[in-house]
Amino acid sequence: MKHVAIALSLAILSLVVPRTPSAQAAQLFIDYFGYDYESPNPNPGTFGEPGSVYNSLGPAPNLFAPLAPDTANNQYTYFFTNLAAANVQTFGSFIVIDYFPGGLFQVWEDAKLGGTFYDFGVNPPNATAPATFTDGTKFVEGSIDQFQVVLNLATGSGSFDANFTMTGGSQLSNVPANQRTGWTFAGTTANELNRPSGYDHQVDGQIFLNEPTPAQPKSWGAIKARYRQ
Amino acid sequence: MKIRNLILSALLLGAFVSAPAFAGPVIDWDPAYVYGPGASTTVALTGAELKGVGIVSMFDGPLGFLDANDPTKEYTFVFRGLIAQPTIISGIPAFTFYTTNYSGGIIELYEGSPRNSSFAPNPENAIVPSTFQDGTLLLSGTFTSFYTQTNNFTQSKSGNMEGTILWSGGTLLPLFNGGNGQPCPGLFTGGITWSTEPGVGIPGYVFRHDGKIDLNCPTPSAPSTWGQMKARYRD
Repeated sequence: MKHVAIALSLAILSLVVPRTPSAQAAQLFIDYFGYDYESPNPNPGTFGEPGSVYNSLGPAPNLFAPLAPDTANNQYTYFFTNLAAANVQTFGSFIVIDYFPGGLFQVWEDAKLGGTFYDFGVNPPNATAPATFTDGTKFVEGSIDQFQVVLNLATGSGSFDANFTMTGGSQLSNVPANQRTGWTFAGTTANELNRPSGYDHQVDGQIFLNEPTPAQPKSWGAIKARYRQ
Repeated sequence: MKIRNLILSALLLGAFVSAPAFAGPVIDWDPAYVYGPGASTTVALTGAELKGVGIVSMFDGPLGFLDANDPTKEYTFVFRGLIAQPTIISGIPAFTFYTTNYSGGIIELYEGSPRNSSFAPNPENAIVPSTFQDGTLLLSGTFTSFYTQTNNFTQSKSGNMEGTILWSGGTLLPLFNGGNGQPCPGLFTGGITWSTEPGVGIPGYVFRHDGKIDLNCPTPSAPSTWGQMKARYRD
């Protein structure tokens, strides 16, 4: 009876058996570079302190299938926001900052002709940042979770990574429902001399989408045999 | 006396007055791949060489006239000759950091045709690095510093690498002059991942690098006269 119940449950799950995780692949989705800053920023002398919120913005010049950008006529910009610092750990010159879930990542599409060219300005937020990065049509929107920043205060550089789930934007229907999760990583540095005043680091990163977990057709007999063991 | 000191100080700095600077990466790529016996996700073999190859995806600044998407051309770069110094291990077992400095090293940017390069697995081979260093040498330089930073805890296996370039050759070298007759140093920077997921990692390469090069020009300056200088510091 127990075996029958298991088999019926599996039937409801569409008679598919997932492959092992090692077979999972990823595909490049978005490439971005820009600068980051904190706002609110309770203590401008430190980075990642409790109460601070991480933001990053800049151009997103390379957008990959299944996205369908029109780079001839539009500029594309990205915006990370709503990432509230939760915990900072210090290990010598390294700090590791973990952020609360609920972060947002967006890509905006704005016409080159008649639109507003992005402008970092200084000491963000300001009159042009994030405003000129978040105007036009919201092209991609997604949630950011498990956002973690690693910085070496001795070298002035580091990295971040996070999970990404696409949730909206004009391109949502182009991305299959079973392929909207992925991850991002980026390098960060404070060693670029031309960084606009008030921004903390230069950022260069990518987002990947996980390809759907492949499934293999199985017969009733094969499934029952598997769960009789 | 104070004014005289200020003027003398300014003269020592070249008697120049600051002017606005430009911003933005001159070269951007996605991706480059890193290989060689000096490449490790943790502890590099001291004295071993680090190498890499990459395909340029965008130019800006003084190289903004180049079209990285020109279907008849390919812009590629190679770096090699980076010699691993002893890896510095820090942190605790659950949060361990690996920092490896490298000495020496060169970088070269090429314009070639046709688009023939690819990140063939298990370099070096018939494709890597030869198809990344064919065509016209646009820029070359030496690394004056270089390091990688990795760890054992990030969920997507991510870190970064960064170096400083002293440009010294290539047909486009004059475009990198910083106003004082010397090329602006290049900042080679970006994130690395050692994820082995298909579509991200490639067998035989240790890191995928998403990065760029910025020109770290000293703040540009403009000539000034004694009179202008004195007037400025009389305020």
